[in-house]
Amino acid sequence: MSWSLNEIETLSRKAARGAGLSWGLAEEAGKAARWLTAAGLPGPQVLADLLTRNDGAEYEALCPMEAEEGTWVAKGGTLCPLISGAVLCDNAQRLQQGKVSLGRTAAPMLLLPYLDAAARQCGTALTVQWNGTTITLGNAAQTTGNGLDAPMAEKITISPTPVACPAPPVARRNRGDMPADVARRLTAFAERTYAPETEESRLSGAGAGLTDND
Amino acid sequence: MEKSAGQTVSPRDPNHVMQLHRLGAFHQSRLSFMRILLRRLQGEVWTFDRPVFDIDARGVGRAVYSAHGPDRSYSLVAFANDLPPEKRSDRVIATEWDATFTLFDGVPTTEDLDRLQDNVPRQEAGRISEKELSLSRANRSVRLWDHVVECLSHGRQPDRQKVADVGYLMRTTAVYGSGKFGAADRDMTSDRPEFLAPFQVEMLSVFLTRAFVMDLVEHMASMRAPDTAVPLDPDLRRRFGIGNSTGLGMAPFLLNHPALLNNWIAAREEALARIRSLETAHAPEVETFRRFALRARLHAEEWTSDHPVQIEKLAALRHDTATLLAHLDTVDLTADMPWNRLWLWSEIALSVEGQELLASLLMEPYPHLVDDLATCMAADEPATWRINGAMPLDDLRALVEDIYGWALGIDWTAHKAQARIWYTSEAKLEPRLGERFEEDLDAYEQPLCPGRDAARMYTDLQTSDEATVAGFLMRHPEHRHVARRAQIAGRLPYAEIRDNTIDATVMPIDMLRLKLSFFGACHFDPRSDRWVRINMYQHAPFPHELGERSGDDWAYPFLTEGVV
Repeated sequence: MSWSLNEIETLSRKAARGAGLSWGLAEEAGKAARWLTAAGLPGPQVLADLLTRNDGAEYEALCPMEAEEGTWVAKGGTLCPLISGAVLCDNAQRLQQGKVSLGRTAAPMLLLPYLDAAARQCGTALTVQWNGTTITLGNAAQTTGNGLDAPMAEKITISPTPVACPAPPVARRNRGDMPADVARRLTAFAERTYAPETEESRLSGAGAGLTDND
Repeated sequence: MEKSAGQTVSPRDPNHVMQLHRLGAFHQSRLSFMRILLRRLQGEVWTFDRPVFDIDARGVGRAVYSAHGPDRSYSLVAFANDLPPEKRSDRVIATEWDATFTLFDGVPTTEDLDRLQDNVPRQEAGRISEKELSLSRANRSVRLWDHVVECLSHGRQPDRQKVADVGYLMRTTAVYGSGKFGAADRDMTSDRPEFLAPFQVEMLSVFLTRAFVMDLVEHMASMRAPDTAVPLDPDLRRRFGIGNSTGLGMAPFLLNHPALLNNWIAAREEALARIRSLETAHAPEVETFRRFALRARLHAEEWTSDHPVQIEKLAALRHDTATLLAHLDTVDLTADMPWNRLWLWSEIALSVEGQELLASLLMEPYPHLVDDLATCMAADEPATWRINGAMPLDDLRALVEDIYGWALGIDWTAHKAQARIWYTSEAKLEPRLGERFEEDLDAYEQPLCPGRDAARMYTDLQTSDEATVAGFLMRHPEHRHVARRAQIAGRLPYAEIRDNTIDATVMPIDMLRLKLSFFGACHFDPRSDRWVRINMYQHAPFPHELGERSGDDWAYPFLTEGVV
């Protein structure tokens, strides 16, 4: 089934929230799934796998801490790319100044939308590497290597690349495909954000109850 | 947005404008999306045709209404239904409607129509594609529909008072756009000149829907009595708008699109500031203003509601229009910054309803100062959305104090201050407003209460020793959404509603009216504190009349039949 990018973003945002991320992080997770889909990458699939893996994990365990200058690792052993991505993007100016390394990170593909935003924010291209794969972001997003959809990277490096950052690229795709099981898994996470239906809420919550046959 | 040369009056303070009781008193204006659309259709000489109209005597079938612009065509595809009364509901929980619609990108083939026939009548349960730009439905106003068919089939025109009492033959409910249910994303069409301004897809869909509904009622009369039936008198026909019935779904939109909200309000405030800054006014401009004030009085008289709050507001509005017209007879409005003088007078003499009506009326004589602002009303949301992590934490503290100062003064431990809770229901996924202390909903709360959330963040900001926003948010991911809002509103002053959206006394209809006024809706008629009916395109020309009649001047009733 063909999905609009808006549908993918909305479902992904709700799913991320349902899986326990804060609203602000969930908003960015929705944008990340959309960005990857527009780039022809399986954003919703990777997100569904990550949310399944981290379901129930504490923020503190997934969040990055600076083990030594320029190297960030998770207290719990494995970084969440949705949290690390947001932190990296918040530190866009620092990325511009020199190399940053991440320790063991799940679903590294999900970092790309955040790093693209960081590259645009500071006007410098960024090059990111893991498992023999190299991606240059902010500069027509070049990729070499075939580890883009690796479920895990033991080490990731992010380096500023001395080329100018051009205007944002036009979305290459306007639609996305999502395997049925991925849509089901994301929907199951999203459903956690919906309040169970009661007759009381149905009548009072939306404020209706008047006739419409007039 | 650039200030005009010589502008001496600044746009109004967001702390004054962005309060719910004022936003809930906004009226349509030259900058409403319906008027922006019809000005374009007229200016570019769009043409219209009806390639398909295949509807039987029971009113069941399909029709296509196409609009052809300079570069592209769009078609409203309509499916008409014979709906039993027990199924007629305007609520989002309905499963069948009198008519369903989609706006097709181009002119559909028979294969397209067959595919759409399998999906559009099912609305949320169906699926549309990137060839479709919107999805909507409408129900008849049964009392007026039956009356009109009855009269026309007997060769008579319907009763004018009955037409005035209801104002439309069908009410749309949801009009979905922007990628909903598989439709094309807004990004796919937002660079087309005809869709640069907000909600032009939806407004075009509704404009063509009105034409279809009027054709349908005449068709039904003609099928019932082919020998005696007559069409509607063209003047009476234009008195029918298209209704809309809207619930809470619209309210979260305003909170979820702060940059867009800013640009709507900023355009309106800039228009007002430009006009208030004028040193002088020419006599014909003053006369134009006076005639619009007379028409606004007529509009206020025709506008009815059964809702106690709206009844009170309407009484104030009628009093205001009388006060304004009396005042106009006593002042010289040609010199000494006349409109600013009038504005300052209104702040003392008129209710909030009247003040905001005056803001709309002042734009009427000045299309050259106002209409170009329509191009500023779309938003490049990604440009202001990312958090600036390098911002010093003191700057974020200062932003919160400036934008949410009103919220920092509220005692949030008091039940009254957060008596309500926004959530999404399991059924049909509709937004709802619950009672926090009576229902067990806290786990499902949506982030639609920026004031309280900003106050919570402020408490942590006061004790944080982090130097930057990046460091603070790493420790406090729970504040991330409201930190983003504060930064957006720091760049865009009208981005945030500066009022408590979860207070015990909040009226969600204020948010609905704000949005609907920018659409260009009239006759705002609340059915409860969270559910409203409105009228759209009343008095507007039909597609085939554009060119003969103004696509711009129709939003207030005319003083005498067919003139002005």
